[in-house]
Amino acid sequence: MSADYHDHDDHHPSPWGPHDWGHGAPHNSFSPLIMSIGCGMFLLMLGGLFSFGEYDGRYLPMIFVSLAVIAAALIVWCRQDMSFDGSYEPRAVGVPFKNVQVRKVGVWIFLWSEMMIFSSLFSTYMRYRQGIPRCDTVFESGDWVEGVAVTCFEPASKLIASSWWHIAPGAINTFALIISSFTIVQALRWANKPVGSVDEEVRRKRVYRYLAATWCLAALFLTLKMIEWFIGFHVPEIGFLGLHEHDIHSLYSEGYLINNDHYQAHHYVDEATGAHMVANIQVSASLFYVTTGTHGLHVFGGIVGLTYLTYKAWTGAYNPQSAVSIEYFGLYWHFVDLVWVLVFPFFYLY
Amino acid sequence: MGGSAVSRRLALISLMAIAMIVVPAVTSLPSGISGVKDTGCNCHGTEADPSVTASISGLPSSYNASETYNVTVSFTGGPAIDGNANLGGFNLWVSEGTLATLDSSTQLWGPNEASHTTEGNDQRSWTLEWTAPVSGKDVDFILHTNSVNGNEGDGGSSGDMWAKAQVEVTGFGGELPEADPFKVLATLIVVSSVLLSIVVLYVFYRNNPEGFEWERFAPWITEWLTSTDHKKIGTLYFVQGLFFLGVGGIMALMIRVQLATPGAEFISQGYYNQFFTLHGTTMIFLAAMPLIAGFANWIVPLQIGAPDLAFPRLNALSFWLQPVAALLIFTGVFSGGGADTGWTGYAPYVVTENTHAGVSMWAAGQIMLVASSTLTGINFLTTMAVMRAPGMGWFQMPLFTWSILVANLMLFLSIPAFGVGLIQVFLDRTIGTAFYDVAAGGDPLLWSHLFWYFGHPEVYVVIVPAFGVISEVIATSARRSIFGYKSMVYAMAGIGLVSFIVYGHHMFTSGMSPTLRFVTMLTTMLVAVPTGIKIFNWLKTMHGGSLVYRTHTLWTLGFLVTFTLGGISGMFFPSMALDVHLHETYFVVAHFHYVLVGGTVFGFFAAIYYWYPKMTGRMLDERLGVLHFLTAFISYNALFWPMHRLGVVGMIRRTHTYYITTDDFQALPEWAADWNMLISVSAFLFFASNLLLVVNMIKSLIRGEKAPADPWGGWSFEWMTSSPPPTPSFDPHNLPELKDANEHVANEPSRLGQMFRRLMVDDDASEGGSH
Amino acid sequence: MAGVTPLFDAIWNDYLMWSVFVGAISFGWLYHHSYFYRAKEGEVPNIDGLEVGVFPKEYDNLKLEVTWTLLPFILIVWLTYISWAPLDAVWSQTGPDGYHGSECQEGESSNNYFDSDGYVRSECYWEIDIVGQQWFWEFDCNGLSEDLCSTDYATVEGELKPLLTLKEGETYLAVMNSIDVTHAVKNPDFGIMEDVVPGQETYLWMPAVEETSFLMLCAEYCGDNHAYMTAQITVE
Repeated sequence: MSADYHDHDDHHPSPWGPHDWGHGAPHNSFSPLIMSIGCGMFLLMLGGLFSFGEYDGRYLPMIFVSLAVIAAALIVWCRQDMSFDGSYEPRAVGVPFKNVQVRKVGVWIFLWSEMMIFSSLFSTYMRYRQGIPRCDTVFESGDWVEGVAVTCFEPASKLIASSWWHIAPGAINTFALIISSFTIVQALRWANKPVGSVDEEVRRKRVYRYLAATWCLAALFLTLKMIEWFIGFHVPEIGFLGLHEHDIHSLYSEGYLINNDHYQAHHYVDEATGAHMVANIQVSASLFYVTTGTHGLHVFGGIVGLTYLTYKAWTGAYNPQSAVSIEYFGLYWHFVDLVWVLVFPFFYLY
Repeated sequence: MGGSAVSRRLALISLMAIAMIVVPAVTSLPSGISGVKDTGCNCHGTEADPSVTASISGLPSSYNASETYNVTVSFTGGPAIDGNANLGGFNLWVSEGTLATLDSSTQLWGPNEASHTTEGNDQRSWTLEWTAPVSGKDVDFILHTNSVNGNEGDGGSSGDMWAKAQVEVTGFGGELPEADPFKVLATLIVVSSVLLSIVVLYVFYRNNPEGFEWERFAPWITEWLTSTDHKKIGTLYFVQGLFFLGVGGIMALMIRVQLATPGAEFISQGYYNQFFTLHGTTMIFLAAMPLIAGFANWIVPLQIGAPDLAFPRLNALSFWLQPVAALLIFTGVFSGGGADTGWTGYAPYVVTENTHAGVSMWAAGQIMLVASSTLTGINFLTTMAVMRAPGMGWFQMPLFTWSILVANLMLFLSIPAFGVGLIQVFLDRTIGTAFYDVAAGGDPLLWSHLFWYFGHPEVYVVIVPAFGVISEVIATSARRSIFGYKSMVYAMAGIGLVSFIVYGHHMFTSGMSPTLRFVTMLTTMLVAVPTGIKIFNWLKTMHGGSLVYRTHTLWTLGFLVTFTLGGISGMFFPSMALDVHLHETYFVVAHFHYVLVGGTVFGFFAAIYYWYPKMTGRMLDERLGVLHFLTAFISYNALFWPMHRLGVVGMIRRTHTYYITTDDFQALPEWAADWNMLISVSAFLFFASNLLLVVNMIKSLIRGEKAPADPWGGWSFEWMTSSPPPTPSFDPHNLPELKDANEHVANEPSRLGQMFRRLMVDDDASEGGSH
Repeated sequence: MAGVTPLFDAIWNDYLMWSVFVGAISFGWLYHHSYFYRAKEGEVPNIDGLEVGVFPKEYDNLKLEVTWTLLPFILIVWLTYISWAPLDAVWSQTGPDGYHGSECQEGESSNNYFDSDGYVRSECYWEIDIVGQQWFWEFDCNGLSEDLCSTDYATVEGELKPLLTLKEGETYLAVMNSIDVTHAVKNPDFGIMEDVVPGQETYLWMPAVEETSFLMLCAEYCGDNHAYMTAQITVE
């Protein structure tokens, strides 16, 4: 055994971090234990907070406590990684991947399972989209009675794609994600510039600014999503192209909700008789919110990762030796972008 | 939630429809009525009628323990029909205490439910006796009365009116609530945890009797809580797996006591249903999977000559998610309402409100297990892809490592579907989404598809590592190379591939499309081919060998017997004419216990006897081992073999009781009761015999013989390290190199491998070695 | 051996025979090798020269391996073949191509019988409804005459359970639905079962060929009282 590995047993860095990466593989960590407890608490308290759609506020403080526990675990994890400078980057030793960075293989395999998750969500979507009659078909067929809810499939696109203003948040989001894929590549490009070819201070600034830009675009994505779901917005008087002052309602205020079994929409009013068709749209709303919400959670996960990367970049830690970390995050981020490119047409346009 | 309101209305309407068809009553239902506590007398109309008033008199406002009260139930009002104004009936339900009849106008449906008799169905008032409970709990009385109009023409029950009255009698606060079986189980868990802590302390003490003090204990326990070493995590997995094997075993025993005699009341059905649900979930997810992960953690890095796994900290996270998930899954137990859905959790029952409260956390716990398995998958797939020692190509990997690779690949590709299904169920049960709400258009079969798309690969995930173990043990014990190494690998890969397209056979009778049934029937038949190859290869390995009989050899031979039997009985299911009768019977139970216990668990036992010396540095006692094998093998077969026959004669699974043929109807033959008793007795013997293994392990830890590096004469890298191996297991700067006794050197990447390399290797990486 | 239905018994016996055949080969082989090729007392030879850190000498024989890939494959092709035909019988379609013809008109009779293969054949069939609910069954004779189909109550272990009386020699197609959760109709004496799924109709052939009286069970777990969700079916 070589010399530095003899040290291993005597060498006891704190399990709270930071790690001494010069000594190779990660040392002990409290983070997994704490994170598991936090996740368990969170799910337990979520089960208390909502029961079959009924809200019980007593559990709300504990939700925040459990989130704090998870955050603490993440901080421990990141604190241990903060000292990572790329000098310890394990590479494959066997065929066929000899010399490929181990972490890169890991990220690709991880993305494979992510693909399966979204495939499952999409198969649920396809099952219901095909299996349940469309609300507009039912409405046109006249096969309904006022006051009795019809079970039918109402895609969110019926509301979202109803006007350019309605679709604006989603459209802006699409561009935000595409641009953020570009900015993360720019961050990687600057971090990767050979030492000496660029001033280190310029490199530091460029890398952290590009990462911060990515962070902002991701935050913009989530903000617009919240506006589209819950808040809505106001269109001022523009005065040309026939645009007049009006409000764009959120999906929430339109009643597009997971528990709405008496959904009424203005486009389901029989002009001749003035009768309203009411619909049970719980399945379509559940699909919309859960699928796009899962994607949103991935974006949120990206924000957490970006926070760490941006902070580390701000300290000037990224250089050609350690730039691969940005690359691995970038793989994930491109994936999230790609998923959106699928989610957007299926849930927003079609 | 709106959806359930719709389904409730549907339920009421159909109840009414049923009543109209099946109750030709002139008066109220002549023989009395039971089970209307929650639904009401909807056979007489959907809603209670305000013109009828029901009342209960004779009750104190607060009762005394064990005192007897005369209770009079009566009603007034209702349809006035000439000469028939007095007709009516009632149903009284009481939450605590016992009811007794005073005359022949009333009858009991149980200690807490009473109704009128044929004789008493033309009265408006009845008197009963109620004996107060000793518990001191508040008692609810729920009374339904029916005032009938006596019309005969249209089925009898239309035009009747009914009313409901509810009275609460407060208790005296009273003594401790009664113990129920689940509290017993909870106590067992708590006691076992305390024992576990004592064992932990004892193990620490044994390590260094002089240094038994907090200053030394704190870092020692911290090391275990924070370790990222694959061997320590592997050990933790073992502790968890063996602990839950015991818990699941105890639950199985409870089930068996209940089923020992027909119509037994050892545990109530509410508890029975939780026991079989948690038995399944525990054994699959909290016992078998951690045991596999334990062996994989311990052995895979050692076998491929890697210092540790690729992502040691993720590995620690994979492990720690498990015990927390186990706590969530069992949360319901502590509140008295553990999950009662069966491990398959079929929709829409799993998302209805009359399941036990613990179902939400049962789903939540499994979501965490899905996360854990996914991380494990990433970790092991990466490790096996990139960290094989120099000289070890794909086709030089030991077969156990191959089996873990195939198992993880299957798990990794299938478990996200299960995870998504579970999240849908969890959200349905919490925030109120409607993925499986039938009234809103939800499809119950969608859950079955998502579940079995994972569930079938999952059972192969559990059995394939046992194949790996058997391959290692049988070759080493026969002192030979394994016969047909490559066909073994291809067979495993074949099983992995086929596993994804056969799952439909779980849904043959579930209303799935006939085309899919037919396709999955064909593919299911195919499973036999690769499995057959494996069995014949193992048998052929012994040919010309020299079988050294050790305990692990015995378990391996035992595995070959039981697994072959389980495999053969599995062939009966794809045949439709057989399946439509055998589905959901004890034949299925017998089959999968032959495969999962006789296969997986026996394989693990072989693995424990085979690798325990490597893990602990101590040999196990061979004589205790042989005794363990003999008692367990015999009691095991006595336990599960009779179930085949019971299944064929129609005993169905997941029921609290079973029916024996009477003069009126055919059900199970009389001998079925005796056989069930035999099964239950054998179950206890099987459980007890496995305690020998625990004794053996503890005994050898304390004063076992010191183990050499290679006690059995195996060839793979784990036998190169000391027993127990050092940390890191291999020096990363001085990795071992695998030699090959054959001519060829398969060290060049395959064409596919070269493609991957071009995709993934960046320029500076390909220049030279990393170290 | 089983005595369930002639069709079940026929296939069961075929399968049992092949099981015994495969079992005899495997176990005979296993017992022979584990006795004949055992090591001498206290001896640990090393036939293939296993050595730590060396991938062992290859030991294979392509012809043998192909043999026991192909032979089981041929066997399962045969087993699939004999399982294939009953597929149509178990889930027979309605109409002239099916085993049970079209729906009976009043005055007709199914006149069902077991043919030489053990399949039930009928001239026509009657439609009845079964509805599952937590936790009881509801039968609906769809207005069939009393002697063809009638419903009542029977006492099963002290509890009132629905009773369905069918006529010997008649074939029934049960159209099934559930109003709450998934149940399953399990008729052990007819040798069949099928799930009863809410929001979906499922179908089950109930050929009442011989006189019998048996308990119909719920075979899909459906909640607390699942075990007691029984009904009696009498064929007379």
